[in-house]
Amino acid sequence: MLAQVLSAAGRSIRAVWHPLAYSARKVNALRERYRAWVGMDVREARGINLLREWLSPEQRSQFDAERYFDVIGCATRKRYRIRYGTATNIHEIDEAGCPLTGWCFVPDGYLVAGDVMLAQKIALETDELAALAVANRLPADLLRTQAMQFRWRAY
Amino acid sequence: MAVQIVMDHTGDRRDYFNTDDAQALSNAERRFKMLTDGGFTAAVRDAAGVTVTRSFDPKAEETLFFPRLVGG
Repeated sequence: MLAQVLSAAGRSIRAVWHPLAYSARKVNALRERYRAWVGMDVREARGINLLREWLSPEQRSQFDAERYFDVIGCATRKRYRIRYGTATNIHEIDEAGCPLTGWCFVPDGYLVAGDVMLAQKIALETDELAALAVANRLPADLLRTQAMQFRWRAY
Repeated sequence: MAVQIVMDHTGDRRDYFNTDDAQALSNAERRFKMLTDGGFTAAVRDAAGVTVTRSFDPKAEETLFFPRLVGG
């Protein structure tokens, strides 16, 4: 009799325990995902803060409004548009702001977007030719696709 | 108070130091040399704008270090 009661009690406890343990695992997984997401957000924000500190007032206004800013190459006086991102985010543009060529160079290692954009800005404004010497040029069809994507995102 | 800012995976790391303190200046110079020898570019920002430098300037108030550039 006692054995039957204990066995039934064990089954009841298992019936309650298993869903609880499953839920606890799910909550832990969600908590880890949230921590990773929040951590990423803090890093991104630090990068953006640093970038904004080093932008000129005009570039800062442009970046705040459009998520990109323009720089003038120190050697050629060409105009480049640096868009928010960590790769293939530099377009050489004409007077009307239309992309002519895409350039891709980045600081080595894993850095957040704000840091990458700041390094790109400083490189183009202080040592443009050295930056372009290591850069890869984007194929024209990729440039067209990117321009369409950026226009699409703007709306 | 001067600052050396080093870009890293957390966004950046900042080392503040007193330019009137000889020991702090010496540490800052050692950091500068270690980073630039390791391929980092040093950029100094002042009222005149941003300049890239290859030698330690004890009067620089704000120096930013970023890793060498590579084709993306």
